[in-house]
This record gives sequence, C-alpha cells and structure tokens, in this order.
Amino acid sequence: MQQLDEKIDRILSVAPYCQPPDERQAGLLELLKEELDYACQRHAGYRNYVQHWPVDYRSACHVTDLPFLPVGILKANPPLSFVGPDEVKKTLTSSATTSQSPSRVVLDAPTARRMTKGVVTIVRDFIGSSRRPYLVVDTPGFMGGNALGARGAAIQGLHPFASETTYCLNANDRGDLTLDQGKLLEFARNHGDTEVLVYGFTFILWKHLVEPLLEAGICLNLPKVRILHSGGWKRLQDQAVDKSVFNGQLARVFGCSPDCVIDFYGMVESVGVIYPDCPEGNKHGPAFGDVIVRNPLTLEPVAAGEYGIVQVCSVLPTSFPGNLLLTEDMAQVIAYDGCPCGRRGISFRFAGRIPKSEVRGCGNIESKRSVN
Amino acid sequence: MIELQHNVNSPEEIARAAAVLRQAVFDTELSPNDVMKVFDAWAKGLSARELDDIPGIVFLRMWLRRGSLEPIIARELGANGLQGGWNEDGRAENKAFPLGVVGHWPAGNVEIQPLLSMTCALLGGNAALVRVPKALVDITRCLMSKLVQSDPEQVLTRRIFLAAFDHNRQDLQEAMAKAVDGAMIWGGEEAVLQIRALPFPHWARLAVFGPRISVSAMDAGAWGDPHEREAWCQRIARDVWQFDQQACSSPQVLFLERRAGQSTADFLPILHRAFEIENQAHPRLTIPAALTSAIYQARASWLLKDSAHKAIFPTGPDWTLLFGSGSDIPQATQGKTLTVLEVDNLCEPVLKFDGNVQTLGLGMADPEKERELTSLAGKRGVDRIVKLGRMHVFVPPWDGVDLIRPMVRMVRHVSSTD
Repeated sequence: MQQLDEKIDRILSVAPYCQPPDERQAGLLELLKEELDYACQRHAGYRNYVQHWPVDYRSACHVTDLPFLPVGILKANPPLSFVGPDEVKKTLTSSATTSQSPSRVVLDAPTARRMTKGVVTIVRDFIGSSRRPYLVVDTPGFMGGNALGARGAAIQGLHPFASETTYCLNANDRGDLTLDQGKLLEFARNHGDTEVLVYGFTFILWKHLVEPLLEAGICLNLPKVRILHSGGWKRLQDQAVDKSVFNGQLARVFGCSPDCVIDFYGMVESVGVIYPDCPEGNKHGPAFGDVIVRNPLTLEPVAAGEYGIVQVCSVLPTSFPGNLLLTEDMAQVIAYDGCPCGRRGISFRFAGRIPKSEVRGCGNIESKRSVN
Repeated sequence: MIELQHNVNSPEEIARAAAVLRQAVFDTELSPNDVMKVFDAWAKGLSARELDDIPGIVFLRMWLRRGSLEPIIARELGANGLQGGWNEDGRAENKAFPLGVVGHWPAGNVEIQPLLSMTCALLGGNAALVRVPKALVDITRCLMSKLVQSDPEQVLTRRIFLAAFDHNRQDLQEAMAKAVDGAMIWGGEEAVLQIRALPFPHWARLAVFGPRISVSAMDAGAWGDPHEREAWCQRIARDVWQFDQQACSSPQVLFLERRAGQSTADFLPILHRAFEIENQAHPRLTIPAALTSAIYQARASWLLKDSAHKAIFPTGPDWTLLFGSGSDIPQATQGKTLTVLEVDNLCEPVLKFDGNVQTLGLGMADPEKERELTSLAGKRGVDRIVKLGRMHVFVPPWDGVDLIRPMVRMVRHVSSTD
C-alpha cells in the first residue's frame, strides 16, 4: 500500500493540465491497474465484478477498457468500503432528493489527504496559490463532523486558500436560510482592495445573495474577488436564469468582471477531482484523473462534438471503489486536446443529467426530464 | 394525403375533434368485417421493407390479418359478430354496439402500441382518439401513412384522430378524458394512476393494461434434455429480444428447477450462445442513456452483492445474463437483462407471485408438473401461461381481459312483437 501511496502522490505533484494526452493516459493506466489489484484483494464482491468484466484489466491497453462501476452502486448502505471501520476517517454523502438515496463514500486518512490535495492542485491552476479572505455563502452549521455532505465537502475543499473564513448566511430552526447583510457588508468593507475568495452552491448564491442584494441595490465593490460555485442549475433554469445572466448579475453585486465567476462540477463520489470552467467555458480532466464520454449504445468513447454518458476516472481514492465511475450525467466532448485555454487533454461541457425513466412492465418510459 | 396526426395545443381542438369523430360513429355503422377489409390492405402496406426495423412490426402485420382477427371477434362478439349482426339469446337477441369515441393512452416504450390499441376500438365500430407519446410521433406517422393509402374511401381514417402533445399538458389530458366514452390505458404505474384520475364521463369504460412483468420457468427435464435445450434457449432469447424486454409479457427472470446429478453449467453456455445469435440478428439500434445506466447498475449490483453470483455480458449494454439461485423475483431491469435462478421446486417462486406477474412462460417436460404450476399461477394472479417462445403472441384475452369486448356495449333486444 505504501508503494501505491507514493505513486499516487507522485502523480498528484505533476502540474494538472500540462501533460500530453498519451503520456497522461499511460501513467493513469498503470496506476489504475495497480489500484484495481489492490481493490480486488480488499473486497470479494468487487473482485467478483472485476473478474466478470469482458476485458481482463491486467491486459488492458487503454483506460477506457478498465472495469468501471455505475455511480449508483455507491448508494449502498452500509457503504462499499475497502477499509475496516476503524480506518474510516470521514463519510461523505451526496445531495439527494427525497425520492433518492444519497451516495455514501468512506474516506480513510490517505484518501482524505489526497482529496484535499487534489482540489488544491486544481483550484490553484485557476486562481493561484495565495491565501486570501474566504467568504462562504452558507452557514457555519453546515459543516458537520465525520459525516460531510456535498456542500460541506466543497466548502472545506477550498479552506487551504483561506487566510480567514466568514460565513454570511444564517439558518433558523427550520433550516431556512437568510442573508446576514451586516456581516457581508463588513467583509466587503474590510477587503475591498484585496483578493478575496467566495464560494457558494449555485442556487444558494443566487437566492440568498444575488437576489437580496439586487433588490436592495447594493454593490459590494470587491473587484478582486474570485467567485467559485457548484451544484445543479435546474432550479435556476426553472426561473429562466442561464449562465450568462447568473454571471452578469453576480458580477453586478460584487462589482467585478463576469470572468471572475467560475462554475465547477464536482461529485462526492469522485473525491478530490473537480471540474472548473476554463475561460473558454470548457472543463478539463487533471493529471490524476480523466473523463471519458461514452456512447450510451456502444459504451465506446464518443467523437469530438458528440454527446454521451460521463465516466470519471481518478487515482485518488483507495478506501472505496471510486476510481472508475460511470456517472448519471451527460456531456459533449469539445475536443480531445488543444483547448485554446492551453490546458491539455479532453475538453468537454456537461449537458445535464441523464433523462430519468420509469423502467417497469409495459411502463411509459417517456423522458421525464430533457437534457439541458 | 390526409394527415391523421396533429400537434394539439388547446383543449378546444380536442373537443372539436371528438365531436367530429362521434358524428362519424353516428353516421355509419361499421361491422368488424368492414374494418377487417381495410386492415387487410393496411397489413399489405405495412410489409414495405423500410418498415422492417420498427420493433413489433411483425406482430402488427400478423394482428391485422383476417386469419388472426376472425377467431378473436367470433369469441368475443359471438357467432354473428363478424357481420355486426344480432345473436340470438333465447327469446332475446344481443348485438355489439360501439361505445362511441374511445380514447387511447398508449405507453411510450412500445412502438406499435398506439396503433394496436386503436385497432381494438375500431373493430368494435368505435372512433379512436389517440394520444401519441412524444417518442413515437415519427414512427406512428409513418405507420399511419400506410393506412391512409390503404383506405381511399376513408372508412376508418374518418374515425381516427391522433393527438400529439406533451404528457405534462394536464389541460389537454383532461380535455381528452372529458371527450371520450371509453379509454384504453397502457403504461407504468405512475402514468396509469395519473390517467385514471382524469375527469372521464361517469359512463366511460376504462380498460387498463399494465404495468406488470413476466416470468419464465423450466423444469429439469426440459433444460436438461441435450436434444432440446438449444431450441429452448432460442425461444427464451426471442422472448427477451422482442420489444427490448420492455413489454409486460417480456420475461425478466428464468427459474430453472434444480435436479441432483444435473448441472446448469451445461445449459448456461447454450443460453449465452443463443443470446449472442439473437443479438447478431437483431442488434439494438438506439438506447436511452437511462436504460444503459440501469443495465450497468444491475450487473454491478448483482456481482458485488454475492461473490457466488455469476454473470455473462459483452462490454456494451447489448444483453446481460445474471446467474444465481433463489426464488425471489428480482427487480426488473429490462434492456435484455435476464436473471437466471436455480430453485429446488418451481412452485417456490410461483407462490411468491403477488398479482404483478402477467405471463408465465414455461418450458416443461413433465405435463403433470405443468398442470400444477398452471393452477398455482392462475390463483396467484397470472393471466397467461404459455410455452416459452410464445410469450408475446398477441392472442386475447390479454391481461386477463378481452380486447374488443370492453369497448363495445352488448345491447339486448327483447321483442315486443312476440
């Protein structure tokens, strides 16, 4: 395990978006095979799954040939784990609607450490490495103990960039959120001429910060802000708020350029890997992970320009089977290399969730939701 | 060429269409014979090569043939039913009259279902107001164009209105329900419950089909017979392939009776081969991403759950065989995912049926055992017990009910002149 740990650390220390795709693929393939070996030793059920995969991973020539798991499998309770209960340091849970079960992923100390390092490596490439005042558009109560939700994980993941942290929302007994305008304005007054970092869930940012400030006609005058946000767009789309409107209004209340707003995609199941938008509006896979967009009919990677199901790959987790996950999201591949932003490897854009189906009998399986 | 399918945007359009349809029913009486003449021509039109890839087209062609329909009509409507005449019943006489306008709410996953449902109402002399699911608009238009060509005198086409609208348009759903005298409702639980709750007139008769699943079973004598098992496996594969395993009559699980000295290890490779052959002959052309996701979920869940579980599948989502033992009916995945379970006694799974099983497909060497299973399955809510390979053969009663009879009124005449 120590050897594996060292190899993962080595790949984590590489600049995240500089390697030519072939070189990166070769490194990932080798390491992922070793991780599969390790995982098979730790979990009989997982070994059974891998052994039934039509391609023997030991002789696979491409990352695309390795056995992946559908992300829904991480909804199992108790969670799938490669470590004993005494080694579990944290359990992350995904956000889920009332009709869904959340995913649960267990982190041991090495995986938790890599998760932090992975996020830092990626975010550093987008906003630089300095620490700065950190404004969290959420409540401090949201940060749990050993069990951490998606919002909490995102907030915590950015702490290494914080010189001090301010939470600007309050929650009442029922969990309703309200803006603490006094605290927010004080933060703005104190840091008007310095670089600051802001994070919030997309919908929360809009509903509890942008809307109240627009209504009150307040501009925070923070021109050096970098605003990161993550989370679904569905509720905003229901209100006819698209990305350009969102960025424009956010820039208006912060007194900054819309370019300072960075949307990133992350899922708790793929710990330590997030996908921020580059200035071209595309997302990229880092050196320690990759993205494969697969044709739903053949499961082969799609050609540039085409849409498919997103598979995320990451060498970071060793405490649960999160290395090769077929997600429930769709994406369009923009190019397999050569994004004008300079980042190497695949560039892609998310295209929403897989439309849901009712799968049963002579069931009416018309799409309930369309791809965004 | 007249256009029978319309993109509907207002309740008024539906009300107007229903009024025209009702008038057509009042104006002309149609006997099943009149309908079958047009159906025969339509079936010929549907034999066009370009339609061969439409799932279920073979069944639609067969269904429309006089040879298929005559015995059904005779059984459901009586000996004179074909001519639309009166049937003597002691001192009285009975005759089938149409309900009027029958609304159809087909499922969105069976390509031919809007038309299949419609034909049942037409055979009863009704007019048909059909909601076409979004996914089936193009296919339905294509199939209906052949009917238009086959019916120059508009015997049937003047009694048909196909309404394409989004299923979320509650106002249009309600308008359709208010305008009909009967309804044929097909679909999943959610869809069926929503449609049944629509404001139908109090006299409207509803026939509901689905949502249900089907199960297959073989005794040891059948699957263990080295001369027959290849044929059995081909039949199973055919039943799984039809409708991409999404019909109520599609087998989701195969129970194999265990017998000392016989190993399913000899049977499973043959089933595997049959699936490969069927897939080569009838490869899937498209798939919803959600189904792909469900198939991979089923494979992973099965193999992770128990290291004794086995499976065979290709890299793509084409088909999946999951092997294990136990008498519980697994959750249906569909998409050509068949769970094969060994049991000591085939009665064990049948005793667990709860009314959700529509068809039991059997491969049996022992007739007495088959009789026992049939009785047991009938008591446990199964409506069709058929030989493997014939699970989708469309012979009513379907779901335990007739197809034409529910949409007609049997009018009784007791003469006052006697």
